[in-house]
Amino acid sequence: MPNNPAWLDRLTKPPEATRSENLRKWAETISGATPMAEASEQHRHKVAGVIQNIRIDPRQGSGCIEATVIDGSGEILAKWLGRQSMSGIHLGAGIVIEGMVGVGLDEEKVILNPEYQLIPGPQRG
Amino acid sequence: MKTQAAFKRLLVGRPMASGELGHTLLPKTIALPVFSSDALSSVAYASGEIILVLGVVGAAAVSNIVPVSMAVGGLLAIVVLSYRQTVRAYPSGGGAYTVSYDNLGMYPGLLAAAALLLDYVLTVSVSTVAGVDALVSSAPQLAEHKVSLGIFFVLLVALANLRGVRESGTFFALPTYGFILCMYVLLGTGFVKCLGGCPVVDSTEGYGSAAGAVTLLLLLKAFSAGTTALTGVEAISNGVTAFRYPQSKNAAITLVLMGSISISLFIGTSWLARSTQVVFTHTSERTVIAQMAEAIFGEGPFFYVINALTAAILFLAANTAFAGFPNLTSILAIDRFLPRQLMNRGDRLVFSNGVIILTFFACLLIVLFDATLNRLIQLYLVGVFISFTLSQAGMVVHWRKSREKGWRQSAAINGFGATLTAVVLVVVIQSKFLEGAYLVIAAIPVMIFAMRSVHRHYAELKAELGHPERVPADRRPGHQHMVILVERVDAATARAVGYVRSVRPADLHAVAFDDSVRDDWAKLAPQVELTVIPTGESRKARLKKHLRSLRNDLGRDDFLTLVVPEVLRSKGLWQILRQPGLQRLKASFLREPGVQVLDVPLDRSEAQAASETHRSIEPARNYVLVLVGGVHNATLQAIEYAETLRPTDLRAVSFGLDPEATEKLGNDWLASGIPHPLEIDDSPFRDIGGSLIDYVHRFKPDGVKRVVTVVMPEFIVSKRRHQLLHGQTALIIKSRLLFERGVVAVSVPYHIED
Repeated sequence: MPNNPAWLDRLTKPPEATRSENLRKWAETISGATPMAEASEQHRHKVAGVIQNIRIDPRQGSGCIEATVIDGSGEILAKWLGRQSMSGIHLGAGIVIEGMVGVGLDEEKVILNPEYQLIPGPQRG
Repeated sequence: MKTQAAFKRLLVGRPMASGELGHTLLPKTIALPVFSSDALSSVAYASGEIILVLGVVGAAAVSNIVPVSMAVGGLLAIVVLSYRQTVRAYPSGGGAYTVSYDNLGMYPGLLAAAALLLDYVLTVSVSTVAGVDALVSSAPQLAEHKVSLGIFFVLLVALANLRGVRESGTFFALPTYGFILCMYVLLGTGFVKCLGGCPVVDSTEGYGSAAGAVTLLLLLKAFSAGTTALTGVEAISNGVTAFRYPQSKNAAITLVLMGSISISLFIGTSWLARSTQVVFTHTSERTVIAQMAEAIFGEGPFFYVINALTAAILFLAANTAFAGFPNLTSILAIDRFLPRQLMNRGDRLVFSNGVIILTFFACLLIVLFDATLNRLIQLYLVGVFISFTLSQAGMVVHWRKSREKGWRQSAAINGFGATLTAVVLVVVIQSKFLEGAYLVIAAIPVMIFAMRSVHRHYAELKAELGHPERVPADRRPGHQHMVILVERVDAATARAVGYVRSVRPADLHAVAFDDSVRDDWAKLAPQVELTVIPTGESRKARLKKHLRSLRNDLGRDDFLTLVVPEVLRSKGLWQILRQPGLQRLKASFLREPGVQVLDVPLDRSEAQAASETHRSIEPARNYVLVLVGGVHNATLQAIEYAETLRPTDLRAVSFGLDPEATEKLGNDWLASGIPHPLEIDDSPFRDIGGSLIDYVHRFKPDGVKRVVTVVMPEFIVSKRRHQLLHGQTALIIKSRLLFERGVVAVSVPYHIED
């Protein structure tokens, strides 16, 4: 981008970028959580983030629920098998998940059947 | 970044993600000006309204203003105490509507809702006009522009609110505190000066010499005029959720603070107005406060400052309604009494549609009543006292049911308040009926009826969508029958033929309106029979007749799809203007039971790139997305339809639902046994079309080898006016999808019989 004045940058900065920044600041306040970008594979990690999307796939056996969790630094796929209900999993929920980080089909980071805890999302109230 | 988007950003600010909602919680210091400017600002005109009544029978009668004001002040204190209990009992926001609906039933709830909605609109109009009056006190030459000034200020406040409460709150704190301070300075100085003989207003005006007797009726009338001082008290009880935690406690403290300031300023103003012998009539150029300020400080800087601050706080009072009205309409929409579009939050997380409606009606009233304060105020009080009475009566029932510690005392306070406000309501109706209150009394039943019909419609819809007999229960979708509409043979037609072949429908033929396309068609698709439908009536009627006769031969579970190839020449609305015939045709077939409309669009650059001899190429991959918002018959039907398209991949997708709704959708999906994956995606900036297009791009559709088919279930109701109650989302999404390369859009209408 050519050298725009600062106010124009502010006007045209994608809202997504601001959102990521806010998310990252929020995730840093959760104690014991590793930023997702730094969660190394084949290690156990605790990460905190917000559920960005949810997939329910009946073809992968009964009750497969996947949730993409983002924290502004990266994303991790949480995958639960054999569940009959969502039990609190919903979009935009703040969540802390903990488990072994593996690699999925598309090279994405996955935690299979993680332990999870729902927490208030990023609010400064 | 487009200029248009940058301009919108300049005007209303950066779009906020749904998760940022918490940022708009208010601390007490900001909440006080945001919610109490309405109640405090009525100080600016309440005393004047009393004088207008008393002045009719002569100057001597005006001295009754102080006892009348004290009575009003007492009433205000009781209402504040009463509402303090509501705030504690209803931490999630207990407006008159919620309290009456919960405790007294639907019709009282709707009565309160109607009264409140009118009240909010009038708050905006009355406050703005009173504010303009204060400006005119300083600058009499503006008097002839009152209507346009009023509209200008309403629009200004509306804009601030489209940016969001928090920012407007900070911006508004200063004038409110400034007004409170200046009023105390004025009253304090006035008191000190009066110790050594009051300065007297120098006025050329006088009251009529027809000195009548001060009757009880006159005093009651003066009292009911003075009760304008009570307006705005309910604002806090509606907005508890906007406070910081602990919400109830903070709201209760703010409410008592507001009540004390309001009562002291009001009684003080009335007292000083009597002492300085203010003369205020319908023709007065200067407000009561302006006259007092002039008498005590002279026409110096303080005179101008207090007039400016009076105007400012009155505009802020309008702002209170801008916080309350959209909030109430969104609650009513959630309860299905108003169209669902009022639940949508805009770019800045405010309920933009509510803000816009409020702005419209407030401006309308200002124009209709020619920006005359006294005429507007006559409409005002009926709604206010209806909601006071219902809300407190509801609280009495609430206490009786809950029987928590000290319920008798709480019920007694609310009961006393309710009785008092009910009596005042009768007085207000009696004394203001002919002066304008009858308009409100006529409007309220109409509003209740409208909300009731909206509710009934949604209830019927819900019953219909869950009706077991209309569920395609066997999970074996019927056959697909397709009809291609051939207006000319071009690249879009060729693509449509390729697409349709990949679907392998049970039956396929083409229709044309005249013979001229026959040769080209034979070259493109010799195996597909072309029917030329007979001439005579309009094209639409002929095609409809043709499709109906086909439909009659099909089974109930079979689908009949009209395939419409289309070369798009220009973007969005222009396209509709360019090809009104085709668009109307498609729209009319949406209303035809048992027919689906499938759009195969091609943009102009693609069409030009295509060679002269058109060939139909079957796409190797067809990714089918079904847009869903819930699990019901319309969704099931759309999924069955999608299954007949021989998809490479079939999935349901959902965007931009409320967080709570996503959990319900997930649970329903798990329970339904639908054998396809569901993807629930966020639309953090509530732009569903944009999110869907981003999603579509993941499949890299090119239109030749890879196609994405978007299947949209659509509700079609038999009465057209009811269509307004259903989101126009499908229409908006479709108009954007068509311009994406390689996207095919299908509407699967679900007809709802009223």
